[in-house]
Amino acid sequence: MRPFKYTRATTLPSAIKELSGNAQSRILAGGTNLLDLMKEDVERPEALIDITHLPHSAVKSLSQGAAKSGVLLDALGKNSETANHLLIRSQYPMLSQAILAGASAQIRNMATNGGNLLQRTRCPYFYDVAMPCNKRTPGSGCGALEGFNRMHAVFGWSDKCIAVHPSDMAVALAALDAKVLAQNEAGQQRRLTFDEFFRLPGDAPEKDNNLQHGDLITGIELPASNFADHSYYAKVRDRSSYAFALVSVAAGLQLNGKQISDVRVAMGGVAHKPWRALTAEKMLKGKEATEANFKAAAKAEMAAAKPHEYNKFKIELGERAIALALTNALNYGS
Amino acid sequence: MEANQITGTPLNRIDGLLKVTGKAAYATDYPVKNLAYGYLFKSTVASGTITQIDDAVAKKAPGVITIITHLNAPKLNVKGGLRGGALLQGPEIKFNGQHIGIVVAETFEQARYAARLIKVQYSGDAQAKTDFEKLATQAVPAKEPEVRRGDVDSAMASAAVTVDEVYETPIEHHHPMEPHATIASWEGDKLTLYNSSQIVNGAQTSAAKTLNIAPENVRIITPYIGGGFGSKGGQWANLALAAVAAKMANRPVHLALSRQQMFNSVGLRQHNIQHLKLAATKEGKLLALGHQTTTHTAIDDEYTEPCGDCSKVLYAVPNALINYKVVPMNIIMPTYTRGPGKSTGSFALESAMDELAFKLQMDPIALRLANEPAQDPTTGKPWSSRKLVECLKEGAKAFGWHKRNPQPGKNIQGDYLIGHGVACGSYPARQRDSSAVIKLTNDNGKVQATVELAAADLGTGTYTILAQTAADGLGLPVAQVQIKIGDSDLPPAAGSVGSVGATSYANSVNDACSKITTELMMKSGKQFFVRPTAAQLMASERLSSFETRMDAKPLADADNYSAHSFNANFAEVWVNRHTGMVKVKRFLAVTAAGKILNPKTARSQIIGGNVWGIGMALTEESVIDPRWGNFITRSFADYHVPVNLDVGNLEAIFINEDDKHANKLGVKGIGEVGIVGVAGAIANAIFNATGKRVRELPITPDKLI
Amino acid sequence: MSEENQNPDLTDDEKRLFADLMPEDLKEIMDSGFNRRHFLKLMSIGGASVLAANLLGAEQVLARPLATEQAAATAAIENGVKLSFNINGASRSLTVDSRMTLLDTVRERLQLTGSKKGCDHGQCGACTVIIDGQRVLSCLTLAATCEGKKVTTIEGLANNNQLHPMQEAFIKHDGFQCGYCTPGQICSAVALLGEAKKGDASYVTSNIKQTGSAQQLSEDEIRERMSGNICRCGAYPNIVAAIMEVHSGKPVDQHFNFAG
Ligand SMILES: Cc1cc2nc3c(=O)[nH]c(=O)nc-3n(C[C@H](O)[C@H](O)[C@H](O)COP(=O)(O)OP(=O)(O)OC[C@H]3O[C@@H](n4cnc5c(N)ncnc54)[C@H](O)[C@@H]3O)c2cc1C
Ligand code: SF4
Ligand code: FES
Ligand code: FES
Repeated sequence: MRPFKYTRATTLPSAIKELSGNAQSRILAGGTNLLDLMKEDVERPEALIDITHLPHSAVKSLSQGAAKSGVLLDALGKNSETANHLLIRSQYPMLSQAILAGASAQIRNMATNGGNLLQRTRCPYFYDVAMPCNKRTPGSGCGALEGFNRMHAVFGWSDKCIAVHPSDMAVALAALDAKVLAQNEAGQQRRLTFDEFFRLPGDAPEKDNNLQHGDLITGIELPASNFADHSYYAKVRDRSSYAFALVSVAAGLQLNGKQISDVRVAMGGVAHKPWRALTAEKMLKGKEATEANFKAAAKAEMAAAKPHEYNKFKIELGERAIALALTNALNYGS
Repeated sequence: MEANQITGTPLNRIDGLLKVTGKAAYATDYPVKNLAYGYLFKSTVASGTITQIDDAVAKKAPGVITIITHLNAPKLNVKGGLRGGALLQGPEIKFNGQHIGIVVAETFEQARYAARLIKVQYSGDAQAKTDFEKLATQAVPAKEPEVRRGDVDSAMASAAVTVDEVYETPIEHHHPMEPHATIASWEGDKLTLYNSSQIVNGAQTSAAKTLNIAPENVRIITPYIGGGFGSKGGQWANLALAAVAAKMANRPVHLALSRQQMFNSVGLRQHNIQHLKLAATKEGKLLALGHQTTTHTAIDDEYTEPCGDCSKVLYAVPNALINYKVVPMNIIMPTYTRGPGKSTGSFALESAMDELAFKLQMDPIALRLANEPAQDPTTGKPWSSRKLVECLKEGAKAFGWHKRNPQPGKNIQGDYLIGHGVACGSYPARQRDSSAVIKLTNDNGKVQATVELAAADLGTGTYTILAQTAADGLGLPVAQVQIKIGDSDLPPAAGSVGSVGATSYANSVNDACSKITTELMMKSGKQFFVRPTAAQLMASERLSSFETRMDAKPLADADNYSAHSFNANFAEVWVNRHTGMVKVKRFLAVTAAGKILNPKTARSQIIGGNVWGIGMALTEESVIDPRWGNFITRSFADYHVPVNLDVGNLEAIFINEDDKHANKLGVKGIGEVGIVGVAGAIANAIFNATGKRVRELPITPDKLI
Repeated sequence: MSEENQNPDLTDDEKRLFADLMPEDLKEIMDSGFNRRHFLKLMSIGGASVLAANLLGAEQVLARPLATEQAAATAAIENGVKLSFNINGASRSLTVDSRMTLLDTVRERLQLTGSKKGCDHGQCGACTVIIDGQRVLSCLTLAATCEGKKVTTIEGLANNNQLHPMQEAFIKHDGFQCGYCTPGQICSAVALLGEAKKGDASYVTSNIKQTGSAQQLSEDEIRERMSGNICRCGAYPNIVAAIMEVHSGKPVDQHFNFAG
């Protein structure tokens, strides 16, 4: 870990100011990803701005008396607080499940909502500074492309980078049409949809998202929930807990009798960003909620997948996970 | 003497209080003054030569005391007994991750940072041997001896039923929770090494020989060991390098491997390709057994995991061929890993037996019972004791085996396919030479004992079983017995490896108790009708102190018998039919391992072995990228050891057994047998659940969809 | 504080016994959570095994002062951060290198070596400590961020000179072998009890929407909630039994089965 200057921020604006003032500075939130990468020499900040001492409330209802309106997750809210918040558990249960499917109790007690979105890929070539990796060292090549790519992307990759975004929480947020609130030194507030926020690797895999240096995430906004009654987060992994997803699926159904009036499906472990399964969604809307329809939609979604040498199984696994998440959403309503 | 009062009871661990309060001191927990911190740096190529090391910037980094590479390291004896080379003796690179230097600095943070600043140039060797899949065909016969009787191939050709399959197990790592760590401290010529060591005296002599100093000048202190599983048996370069660093820094040095460095510093369980052949009559009598293993070893040293060991002893079979081929590769030297050979080998053998039973439409337990050998089928020696049949029968009863549906894929509950499997295992029982000193004191009639030997307790329960053995042997309450181990200044003892620890230590302490009692009787000059205890003699003779030393040896005729622990393992798995994720819901291990000194710690040993077996069956796999020869699984997030939720209800049953041919106490050792047969039972249960026979471990979800 | 003041009810005999067992560290042992009554109780039930353990303990505790600060050469501290926090009930102020983790701070600077380094990357749980009531990983926590916090390590779990019930249960159920993961397991388990009381959910909670009351956890709930603490020795079933006993308040049976 390189030496760095540590600053404990006392206000949000002062944190942003400090951040903007030095291109080599970073925000320190839970630190669960940043410190890990600093110890690996992957991240080499000159200055850390600790924002954990700033006051925050994990979850705020956006309702003004109205029954159904959205919520605001504070960027500094801890993952565990968020997952266990009564509003989230009752109205966005798939988000609770997704958070609780990730990492461990200790890590969720440290990890923040903002940091979770910004966590970097777990690609082993990215983590090992002796290996080529375009994301870590642009132009050095992609070690995974011809390497051990079992954990890697099947959608939206480029020959520059085939990494996946490792977050579980972000998958549920993608399904829920969340928006990211960011603030910069000028005091400007931006509200980015997940599509605007996350990126595919393209020619610039070093950029995980479209934030600019100096942007601070202040919160995540969720619209009113239509999926509280029928949703599920399914995660398939190599061991039963404390492991990143091979494939995960957040599914939500809004039903009108047996008919699907609205549906959301997002996938983790398959792309550089949480992957909205739009093909599947489109196929299901208006159809009857049956296992056969779920399977057909899952198959259609995965038909566009392009696997690598070691992750061909993700196609079948993806189909199964989509169908399973939808079936469970229908039956158990999480 | 009131025999067996405490021995055999489930006494709580006597070191428990220290362990639950954080006071048990492991290697780097000692408050050594003026401590400096070392950090190893490693090669990033698999073979070639170092042409340049640029450490100019690192040398000037704050806090750096010294940087040691092959350019300034002292000459060490590379044949001193440390495993795996990497002693900074030259510029040659033999594997990716070989140590190439150490930074010593004032703080850990400074050492780690400075190590990052060092730039190394290599002249590459395009011929690096890193791709086992490709090199396997070039493997040559290994030193591990071959067993050949009769003719397997002709038996295969004419038999009613045969199985001819290849089973593959990946590289695994020991990964004890305590990474290998040392504090090295010199006082003049005397070197103290606080170092996690399974073989206390072995660590002492190999460190001394490697450093070219007298063993008397080296003291190993290792009262608590954070697990070892074979990787802290033979010691590795880091032990000597810590001493070198302390010498060159002229200060005590703390040198710990990082978890990432654990992947390529302290051996591994090698990738095995096992070719199994079984031939049987229609009635299920085995006619032939072929077990041929192809594996890899270090480029300049050979270790072969003996995968065929269980095949040598488990079943009666007239024709057998058990042998090994090995190919040298540019990766870290393999070494003993919990249940070496038996755990991986039994997976292949017991999977093949299950395949055979299925082909024969025979119950897998009945198949095994039909092939029970009267004596060791390989050596012809009589068994010291063998209760595998009891293991199978008692296990079947306790597990409810009769309820199993022999047709695969038929037991469905909701999202789950349920299956049951059985597999057997064995592990050799051995006693090694081991000494012990007993010191008795008597303070106004209150007699206390101190038992001293350079034994190790890596969580196996050594402290506790020795206190029990000594308490009974001396006629003292266990509270009046103190156990001192884990220090090379104590009388030399066997290592805690290969399941010889408990057997050797307990027998030596027991013998020492007998000896001291006899000596006290002689000293008293009296005649006794009933043999008194040492405690009674100390009191009646009003001796204030007395001590003796025993150099215990195995029984003279121990070699005339074939001595093994045996087990039968029963697994119930639930396979999610959508995701392919497997949960081991129930697992029962029935073990015949001689006399059980403490059922509580013994059960823990078995259960711990079972958890290892679950890891082997379902989660653990290390992968090398042949382009660089480096591990792509390079952290605990990539290399999956089982977590709590991976483990369901585990039950252990011990078969009453007292094996007086094996050794005086009738103890056979349980540290390793607990992992043997586990992966086989789970794989067989998965077949029963799903109808899928997976012959390549670990059985991850992708293999079941 | 003298021994007499602290343990007024120690009989002369007991004092002699203790003095025998652990000459100079009696006070230390009493200070650090081995309650006398509790100690005697364990001695009598556990076949007095614990006594022998304390014989071992004597040597080690003697060798290792508690929570005294190992003065770091000032030159060795880069980007120093001044820090005051509460550790196991005592206030401590020190200056740390900004890079120093809480784990390295307690181990290398405060001589509290109970917390263990198993991976240094958040992947094993051996370094688990409790900060302001929450279990967290000290290897991924910069010491600098702990300003004003209340940190409890394994050394601070015993309360009023009494072992924490979780520590007792771990001994009874043999919830460890090598003991290296144990401080982390126990800190994690203690915090888990609080989470269950609050009604926190886990990924295996069957109805996540059902919120509110304290939870009676199933074995699988405990397993999932403890999955952030790796035990390579494989003591998991015993760890679950120990936690279940404390969590449910009812003794959990131990089976030692023999046959044949
Ligand atoms: C062993 C392990 C296993 C894990 N398993 C999983 C898993 O299964 N599923 C899963 O989803 N996650 C998993 N995680 C990842 C974990 O969820 C993330 O590390 C965590 O969410 C990151 O949050 P943080 O607050 O700690 O971020 P930090 O590490 O503090 O920050 C991450 C990045 O975001 C920046 N940042 C943080 N907050 C802000 C802000 N408000 N504005 C601008 N920039 C900011 C930081 O500068 C840094 O670059 C695992 C982590 C570990 C260590
Ligand atoms: S997949 Fe992306 S992160 Fe991984 S090596 Fe390639 S460029 Fe780097
Ligand atoms: S040492 Fe902190 S999680 Fe492993
Ligand atoms: S007791 Fe050894 S790692 Fe848990």
